[in-house]
Amino acid sequence: MVKEPHSAHNGSDVPDIAAERKATYSRLFWRFVWLTILCSLAPLLLVGWGINLHYSQFARERMLDFFQTQVEDHRKDIERFLKEHTSKLQLIARTHEREQLIEPGALQNVFDLFNQDVRALTDLSVIGEDGFHLAYAGPYDLWSRNYSKEFWFTQVMQKGIYVSDMFMGFRKEPHFIIAVLHHEGDSKWILRATINTEVFRSLVENVRIGKTGQAYLLNAEGIYQTSPRLSGAIMEKSTYPMGPYHEGPQVRTLDGLKDAQGRERPRQIACQAWLHDPRWLLVVKQDYDEAFADVSYANTWTLVFLHLSAASILVVTVLVTRHMITSIKRRDAEADRLNQQLLQAGKLASIGELSAGVAHEINNPLAIILTERQLLLDAARQAPIADPEFQEQFADSMSQIDVQVQRCKRITHNLLRFSRRTQSVIEKVDLNAFLREVVELMEREARTGGIKFFSELDASLPPVLSDPSQLQQVFLNLITNAIDAHDGKPYGSVRITTQSNPDRRMATVKVADAGSGIRPEHLNRIFDPFFTTKPVGKGTGLGLSICFSIIKRLGGSIAVHSELEKGTEFTIGLPFLPPKELQDSLAKKEPLKPAA
Amino acid sequence: MPGFRVLLVDDETIFTKNMSKLLKNRGYTVTSANSGDAAIRELEQNPVDVIVLDLKMPGMDGITTLKEIMKLGLFTETLILTGHGSIDSALEAMKLGAYDYLTKPCEIDELVAKIESAWGKKQGGL
Repeated sequence: MVKEPHSAHNGSDVPDIAAERKATYSRLFWRFVWLTILCSLAPLLLVGWGINLHYSQFARERMLDFFQTQVEDHRKDIERFLKEHTSKLQLIARTHEREQLIEPGALQNVFDLFNQDVRALTDLSVIGEDGFHLAYAGPYDLWSRNYSKEFWFTQVMQKGIYVSDMFMGFRKEPHFIIAVLHHEGDSKWILRATINTEVFRSLVENVRIGKTGQAYLLNAEGIYQTSPRLSGAIMEKSTYPMGPYHEGPQVRTLDGLKDAQGRERPRQIACQAWLHDPRWLLVVKQDYDEAFADVSYANTWTLVFLHLSAASILVVTVLVTRHMITSIKRRDAEADRLNQQLLQAGKLASIGELSAGVAHEINNPLAIILTERQLLLDAARQAPIADPEFQEQFADSMSQIDVQVQRCKRITHNLLRFSRRTQSVIEKVDLNAFLREVVELMEREARTGGIKFFSELDASLPPVLSDPSQLQQVFLNLITNAIDAHDGKPYGSVRITTQSNPDRRMATVKVADAGSGIRPEHLNRIFDPFFTTKPVGKGTGLGLSICFSIIKRLGGSIAVHSELEKGTEFTIGLPFLPPKELQDSLAKKEPLKPAA
Repeated sequence: MPGFRVLLVDDETIFTKNMSKLLKNRGYTVTSANSGDAAIRELEQNPVDVIVLDLKMPGMDGITTLKEIMKLGLFTETLILTGHGSIDSALEAMKLGAYDYLTKPCEIDELVAKIESAWGKKQGGL
């Protein structure tokens, strides 16, 4: 195991890269989200809003058209009513002589006939040119009244036909009259009818205008000719801004209009149309909100659905993008891991070649040194050294030369073993039995250091086809490291676990220790050749890189997880069958027997 | 006392010089060659009993030299001396007919033992 050196270095790079990665993922996330918003949400909302605006405009125009048509039809109805009654009066005047009408009961008969279907008239009178009644049918006592000074009287005498505005008259209540003048010989008489105010009012109000709507008539001075339903009363002055006479109906939007009590009315929509005779203004109006309630309702719900759709797209976008980013992260991590392994393999390959060359070159001078030593020994044997002190020194030096040459030899042989591409011998290996043997071998050494071995071996693990001698080297190295990791601790443990991984057709072997752990900044260097933190002379720094290259050659994987002061765990994955290139190279020599 | 002839083939002249002396000290008749070509020329003139052949040499390498030696059809045994890096070549050489191989650096006693056993094989083959 790698032991802690006192100098720390290179540790700050790791979080920087992680933070940069995190920022990149965040940028990527927002870019995707904005792109989706730009490409799907923005067009959806623009089209949605556009259609909605267009539709509401269209609906409003259609509604106003309908409103105008309705009011115009209504105006015609009122005019028809007045004309009809005027015509009836003219007909009676022309078809009857005065004497006939003033006969007792005659006018009453006509009056009754008039009101046969609808009680349209309040009373009916025949009035002479002096202004006095000649005959009267109706509820009021007006017989003694003289009308010659009345406005309507002078008007009918001048024009022949007259429809009055509402006025109080002698009966002291609001009413209006239709009067026709008839010439009979030299004399003239007037047939006058008072229109039933209530009947007329219900005629005027007979238009479909909702809860806040009302319909009424104003004369040219803005005086109510019928009582409005909600505010104001007949004969009162209206606050309605009438404007000049115009042909046909006209729609107006009224803001800040006050009623008779001075209260401000909400925004209203009104349609007005002028009657020709009398010059009355028909006003039909309604609260703006009520008039357009249906359109607003449709509008609101369209917008609600539109925005709900947009929101759901946004939520789905965020979720999908998050999922995508997670996948990318996973792929990146996988790619990093593979890159790391490739880098490691490449590093090992080049260092392997270099060290093989160096080792080979060093072996030659070592061979020469050995021969020189042997020559000296031979010479000393033939001509023994006389001086005992020199002889002793000579023997010491010769022995030390041998020791040091053997040490060099061990190093170069290790280097060569690390780099050599010897032929693998592939056999069926029962990893459990194999590991038991390796543990037995190491246990003796470990016991003196107070280290205990624990094994958790998966009995269902099938045998693997692999190279036992190379595997032995790997496990010996790992276990040696695991024992060394407890340096300085009075006791410790090494746990060896095997697991079968049938899905990936792999066996997993874990070697875990409870030692000092590996510093994070060393973790990515432990497989580098010559990297060691053991004391000089104790480790060559080749153990783990040899393990790495062997496991790679056998088609497996090696991973490490370490926590400072808690321990380190190496995980080795070994394929049940060796990789194809290894099989191919073996097949040339000898066909491989598959595992049972 | 052995007394048979050994040919050392190695491009390291100091090594061949030293090794010659050591072997001579142990009673062998030793000749040496510093290249494959020189070895073939030497063998054509003076056949030997055992050849100690280095694999890694400039010019003609050990394997080619061995093939040439085999072509000569001499009654001789060849020991391969390798710097260990070329251990695969050493195995290949044995398939070509070399008797055994040693890795550098080696003890003189080890070399002598191999030479003796090669000689023994040659004698057995007589």
